[in-house]
Amino acid sequence: MTLNLTTDPSAATLLPIAKKEGISTVWDRHRAMQPQCGFGQLGVCCRICWKGPCRIDPFGDGPQRGICGADADTIVARNLIRMIAAGAAGHSEHGRHVALALQGVSQGKLPAYQIRDEAKLLRVAAKLKICTEGQEIQAVAAAVAKATLEDFQSQDHDAPCNWIEATLTKERLERLQALHVVPHNIDAVITQIMGRTLVGCDADPVNLILGGIKGALADFNGMCLATEISDALFGAPAPVVTAANLGVIKPDAVNIAVHGHNPLLSEVVCEVAQQMDEEARKAGAKEGINIVGICCTGNEVMVRHGIPLAANYLSQELALVTGAVDAMVVDVQCIMPSVAEIGACFHTAVITTMEENKIKGASHVSFKEETALENARQIVETAIEAYKRRDPRRVNIPDFKQTAIVGFGLESVVAALATLNAEDPLQPLIDNIANGNIRGIALFAGCNSTQVAQDSSFVTMAKKLAKNNVLLLATGCGAGSFAKHGLMTQEATVEYAGDSLKAVLTAIGTSAGLNGPLPLVLHMGSCVDNSRAVEVAVAVANRLGVDLDKLPLVASAPEAMSEKAVAIGTWSVALGIPTHLGTMPQVTGSAQVTELLTQTAKDLLGGYFLVELDPELAAEKLLEVIDERRKGLGI
Amino acid sequence: MKQQQRENAIVFADPERCLGCHGCELACALAHSGTGLHQAALQGLTLRPRNRVVAAGDVMMPVQCRQCEDAPCACACPTGAMLQEKGAVGVREKNCVGCKVCVMVCPFGAISVKHEGSEEATGRTNGGVARKCDLCAGTGREIPACVEGCPTKALTLVDLEEYRQSLIEARAAELAQSLQFLKKRKAKL
Ligand code: SF4
Ligand code: SF4
Ligand code: SF4
Repeated sequence: MTLNLTTDPSAATLLPIAKKEGISTVWDRHRAMQPQCGFGQLGVCCRICWKGPCRIDPFGDGPQRGICGADADTIVARNLIRMIAAGAAGHSEHGRHVALALQGVSQGKLPAYQIRDEAKLLRVAAKLKICTEGQEIQAVAAAVAKATLEDFQSQDHDAPCNWIEATLTKERLERLQALHVVPHNIDAVITQIMGRTLVGCDADPVNLILGGIKGALADFNGMCLATEISDALFGAPAPVVTAANLGVIKPDAVNIAVHGHNPLLSEVVCEVAQQMDEEARKAGAKEGINIVGICCTGNEVMVRHGIPLAANYLSQELALVTGAVDAMVVDVQCIMPSVAEIGACFHTAVITTMEENKIKGASHVSFKEETALENARQIVETAIEAYKRRDPRRVNIPDFKQTAIVGFGLESVVAALATLNAEDPLQPLIDNIANGNIRGIALFAGCNSTQVAQDSSFVTMAKKLAKNNVLLLATGCGAGSFAKHGLMTQEATVEYAGDSLKAVLTAIGTSAGLNGPLPLVLHMGSCVDNSRAVEVAVAVANRLGVDLDKLPLVASAPEAMSEKAVAIGTWSVALGIPTHLGTMPQVTGSAQVTELLTQTAKDLLGGYFLVELDPELAAEKLLEVIDERRKGLGI
Repeated sequence: MKQQQRENAIVFADPERCLGCHGCELACALAHSGTGLHQAALQGLTLRPRNRVVAAGDVMMPVQCRQCEDAPCACACPTGAMLQEKGAVGVREKNCVGCKVCVMVCPFGAISVKHEGSEEATGRTNGGVARKCDLCAGTGREIPACVEGCPTKALTLVDLEEYRQSLIEARAAELAQSLQFLKKRKAKL
């Protein structure tokens, strides 16, 4: 079977079952798609108008311009920034949704939601320079919601979005402003990308890419606000011990998988499920209701409530092949449409919840914040009904499950550090970076891709970097990989961390009351929560009085695939962070765009893309980058 | 011992299946380059396919060398660069001087004589060598790259012995069936 295509141990159990039952998985479809179109891989295919499709001969013998006259550089740049726009749109829709919910709460209109973390809301307000003195919490919420929604409304092209202004270092903001790439309104910037890439508009690759960077920064803005307001509504993550991989599905429980990205629905489902546990038991489920997470909805409820994570992107279908998932509730993003078909091979109810995200063959519950409790109740009832139809002979739950200690946002990292130095929590971190105990920091972000054996690049790189004393942070499906493979444990720290890193993690973990070291990789949340890592970085940079592009900080998306990853990677570069990609971006058809992203960006922004498909080599290159940065700082 | 004579194999294109995606051209150019897609693009190599997708009337399909049994190109080539070899019409590139006689005589326009790679022409040579479909001989593949790369399976490598054999067998089976039918009817009468 296709076991070389994933390193997830669960797959060895479940893929043969899928094969026997005639269920095709993502890996079968990937194989059927081979070989894939070279023009598309190079990004030189244009379908922007109906004179097309046009495609440029990458090897110089055939056509070098599209019918309108666009060359490979223009076409590649346009395609790329449209991806950024799509990624930014996804994140900012998520953000808008959360901001509107905060507004609804401030107006007392949403009975299913409260401000669970008032302290966080106050911190957010302070960050946005909103005066909170003597204000009721509702009023603060209203003001924060208003300031946030302005980022979708402002028409003043010269005034930066509130969130980005409040979030970055001063130097970085000025640098970006000098390039005219600071967004003033998320919606406007995304619309602008669509407008400028219309047939017959912007054709200068450099100008296009700058427009893309602005879009990517709008994405960053959307992510910051989504993360922070979610924290205010649902609580900032704190360290919690939980488990990951398909073994978290329980044979004697009604299993509900929450999948997608947005916490607004999953939070309420978790809450309502708790109340309905008895009903599940009455239906015969000895263990009641068991909620498990998939992809970033999974990460959201994992870092906030310790809900176990069943799967990351590529193994979402395998969760269904266990035959023990009674309902899969999905909201937005990264949901393979195949889940409806596979669910239908079993008793599983696949339920879509967003008006703008339906899947043929799935049932639909129209989720609205106003009726969230009823909606969640209906979903849980559907799951219990489905459970009654489950065929126990078709249940195959792989016996794989790893412990995972998760929940490290800025607050919990600072809280852990504060146990070492309450006056100045960042000081121990900075000291350890300065004396080389921590050689550098690497953020692993998002995605699984069928271009890479699932999880293998994440795990290989993490082990190598940790051995070289690099502190590891992770979000999204990358975090899922590490959790599933047991790298978010104290044992992993003992086994894989280099001596000095191990000493630091042990000192912090012990004094924070974990009875041992912090886990090898710190789980910071979903992919929208990449902004948390920036928060940590900005705090360190401000503390040192330098800009982000001076820090020994690197980012890596070794198994990237989504348009969201294109947006995230691009803002990461724009913020001055060297960013590794372990899958080939669809830009190599343009030498100019490739050079812009991998070289010119370095001069303009301090950050740049580094493409290396071999994870061992990639880790080495990142270590070199870290050392170069350390030298720059004179440490 | 006398070798059994076989016809040269050919790549056959089914115009009903061809979508005109040029995938076969890309696959061909890459197969003969000895490097990968992204590497070639990043190095800015000029690579040339040995086939060419054309649209004529309602028909769309790649056209390439027919591996003629009495190949005009091989007959005309003054340096012996074009020759019958291992079941195909091959090109000995090092013998080619780029005189283009083969181009003139090929009834299918299957040959081009242009420079490929990245080096610039020197004062002495333009670096042009005759290039045409060689069924991927020398690229170490079992199936020609274009056949493998076609997403709609419009291309097949046809071994004519086998092809004829299966045609004959199919017709013979039909004949046998009708004979049986006739026999049965006779018996009834
Ligand atoms: S926009 Fe230009 S390059 Fe793109 S399809 Fe139309 S004519 Fe071709
Ligand atoms: S790859 Fe196949 S479908 Fe595409 S042009 Fe060639 S023969 Fe036609
Ligand atoms: S190149 Fe032309 S003449 Fe020579 S064998 Fe092929 S089809 Fe025949």
